Amino acid sequence: MEPSANVLTAATCCDVLAHGSVRAAPAEIASLRQNLGPVPGHPLPTGFLRHADEQTVVGLAAVLQAIATHGLAGQRFTEWGVLASPRYLGRLTLAAAIDRFKTEGAWGVSPHVIPHRMLHSISGAISQVLKIHGPNLGVGGGPGGLLEVFRMAAGMLHGDRLPGLWVVLTGWDPEPIPGEAQPGEARCIGVALALTAPRAYPRGRRLRLTLADQRRTASGKVRGGATPDVLDLDTLLAALDAIDVRSAGVVWQLEDGGRLELEKAEACNSLAGPHGCGFGGGRVGVGSSGAGAEDSP
Amino acid sequence: MIPRQAIWITGVGTANPLGNTYSRFAECLLDGHSGVRAIAEFDVAQHPSQIAGQIDAIPCPPDMAPEDFTILQPLEQLVTWCAGSALRDAGWWEDRFELRIGLVLGIGAEWALLWEVDGLPGGNRIRHPELDTTSLVERTRRRLDLSGPVACVSAACASGNHALAQARRWLQLGWVDVCLAGACEMVVRPMSLAGFGNLRALSRRNAEPHAASRPFDRGRDGFVMSEGGAIFLLEPAASARKRSAHVYGEVAGCGASSDAHHMVIPSPDPEPAITAMRQAIADAGIELDEVDYVNAHATSTPVGDAAEARVLNAVFGDAVRTVPVSSTKSMTGHLLTAAAAVEALACLAAMERRAVPPTINLDDPDPECDLCHVPNEARPHRVRVAVSNSFGFGGSNTCLVLKAV
Repeated sequence: MEPSANVLTAATCCDVLAHGSVRAAPAEIASLRQNLGPVPGHPLPTGFLRHADEQTVVGLAAVLQAIATHGLAGQRFTEWGVLASPRYLGRLTLAAAIDRFKTEGAWGVSPHVIPHRMLHSISGAISQVLKIHGPNLGVGGGPGGLLEVFRMAAGMLHGDRLPGLWVVLTGWDPEPIPGEAQPGEARCIGVALALTAPRAYPRGRRLRLTLADQRRTASGKVRGGATPDVLDLDTLLAALDAIDVRSAGVVWQLEDGGRLELEKAEACNSLAGPHGCGFGGGRVGVGSSGAGAEDSP
Repeated sequence: MIPRQAIWITGVGTANPLGNTYSRFAECLLDGHSGVRAIAEFDVAQHPSQIAGQIDAIPCPPDMAPEDFTILQPLEQLVTWCAGSALRDAGWWEDRFELRIGLVLGIGAEWALLWEVDGLPGGNRIRHPELDTTSLVERTRRRLDLSGPVACVSAACASGNHALAQARRWLQLGWVDVCLAGACEMVVRPMSLAGFGNLRALSRRNAEPHAASRPFDRGRDGFVMSEGGAIFLLEPAASARKRSAHVYGEVAGCGASSDAHHMVIPSPDPEPAITAMRQAIADAGIELDEVDYVNAHATSTPVGDAAEARVLNAVFGDAVRTVPVSSTKSMTGHLLTAAAAVEALACLAAMERRAVPPTINLDDPDPECDLCHVPNEARPHRVRVAVSNSFGFGGSNTCLVLKAV
C-alpha cells in the first residue's frame, strides 16, 4: 500500500431535516419523566421512563420537540436509524448503586441499572418510542463523543440505505458530582438532529464533516487529541440557532486536524466534487495536515 | 452508492476464556472445551449465579514495559492486547505510521466499569468528573500510534457486528487505509454479576460450571456471563493481495435492525431479526444455499433461543434442516458486548479448520429449537460462507456474513 500524503479527505455531508433541544433542571426532568408531551402515533406505555436515566429523558424530549417544531408529527420513522451519544451516562445513579452495593451486597443492585445505564440505552429507548426498526446504537459516551457520533452518522447515511437517522446528543452542564448539591444552574441538555443524506434541493441546515489525516508530526507524534473543548453541546446548539438568522456557516476546526461545518444548505450547491458533499473516497488539499490545509468551498 | 470493494480480515487479536491467541482459541473451540468456571476472584456467596467464563491474565504486549501495562485497568489491558496483536498479526505493526489506521471498538459501559472498578475497593473517582478526560478509544489511538478516526459503539451484545460493519464502511468510503474493529468486555465484576443476576437472566447451575451454558437444550436456565474480546484488522482486498497477506476471510455482508419492542425482552415478532439476516445475506450477494454454517446468538435463555430458532426457520425455510447451526456460547459463555466479535472469530476458525464448532451440553434438544444442531462434538465440514447472528438489549438485531477467500 502506498503511504498516504498529508491530506484532508473529501467532505461527507448530511442534511439537517429538523432539530430540537431541551435544557432541563433536575426538577423539570422529574416533570418530563411523568409527561413528555405528545408522542406521534401512540402514547408512551405507563411508567416507560420510570427507571430511565435523566439523559434518556431529555434526549427523548429533544426528539419530540424536533418533531413538533418541524412539522414531522405525521412522518413515520420505521426505516430510520438512531444514534445516541450520551456523556458519562448514569454517574449519579451508579454512585448511589456502588454505595448501596457496599452496604447491602448483591441484592442491593437494582435490575434496572444495566438496561438503562449502558451506552446503547438511550438509542434503544428512542427506537421503541418512535417505532424505529432500523439500527440503533450508542456512540462515544465520553470526551470526543460528539465527533464520533457525527462521523458514524455520516458513514451510515452514505452506506446503509437509511432514509434518515436521528442523532441524539446528551450531557450535563456542569457535570454533576454525586453526593453534592447540584448548583442552581445545573442542566441536563439534550440535542436531537434528524439527518438525511444530502438532497439535491436542500433546505435548512447541512453538516459537512471533513476528516483529517492525523499521521505523525515532524516530531514523530501522532497529531490529535480530545475534541470536547472545540465541539460541545452548547456551541452546537448556538450554531444551529444562529444559522436561522445569518447565512454564514459555522466551522469547528477539530483538534485532530479535520473540521465540522454547519451551514445553510442552500449555500451548498454541489452534491459531489472535491469541495462538495462527495462520499469521501478521494482526497483534496495536499499540504500540511491539519486545519487550514484546504480552502473553504 | 459507495464503491463495493471487498474488505478482508488480515489480522486478529483475542483474549477470551478459550485462549489468548487465535490458534489456542480455535483448538479449544473445536475440541468442545468449556471456558466456564466458578468465580474465585471475588466473594459470590450472595449472588444467585456464581460462575463465569473468565480469561487468565492478559498478556503484556511485547512492545510495552510490564510495569506500564500492569497499571492499566483490565479493560484497557484487554483492548491494548487485542488491538496490538491484530496489527502485528496483519504485519502492519512496524509500518503503522505510514497508514491511516482507524479503530471502531464495541464497548458497552466504559465509564460504569471504570467507576465500579475504582469505587468498590474504596476509590472515589466517580465523584471527580475532572479526572474523566480521555476515552479509552482515544487513549488506545495514542498508545498504538493510530492516525485514523476512532469511535466507540455499543448495541449491547450486537456491538461487535456493528463495529465490523462500520469499519468496512469506513474502508469503502476511503476514510482509512486499514481499520481495527472488534469489541471487548470485562464485565465479570461484582455489580454486573449482581445486576444480571437480579434480572434473573443468569444460569444458576453453579455446581456444574462446564455444563451451565447449554443453548438449545431443554434444560437451559439462563446465560453464563463471560469476558474477553476480539479485534480484527480489516483491509481492502487489493491491498492484502498486493502484499500477499495471510487472509482469514472477507467481511462480506452486514445487516442490522431494531425490535422497537422492549429494552430487555426479545420481540415476539420475529420480523425485525429476520430482516437483519436477510439484509446481511443480500449485502453479501449470496444465495441461502451457499450458507455453510450459522453461528447462532443463542445465549442459553429459554425465551431467546426459541425465538432465534423461529427466525432461522423463517429465513432458511426447509433448508434449516441441513444448515449446521451451533452456539459457541456453550463453550465461551456470553461475552455480552464482545460476544459478536468472538463469534466472528469462531466463524473464521470454522473456515480455516474446515469444521463446525459444536454446541456443547446439548444433550436434550428443545423441540422448540428444531435446527440442524452440531451437538457436543465438532463436525468436519467445509465452511466457505458463515453467518453469525447477534442480538442485544435495546432491541438490536445484527447479522454478519463472512466468506472464505
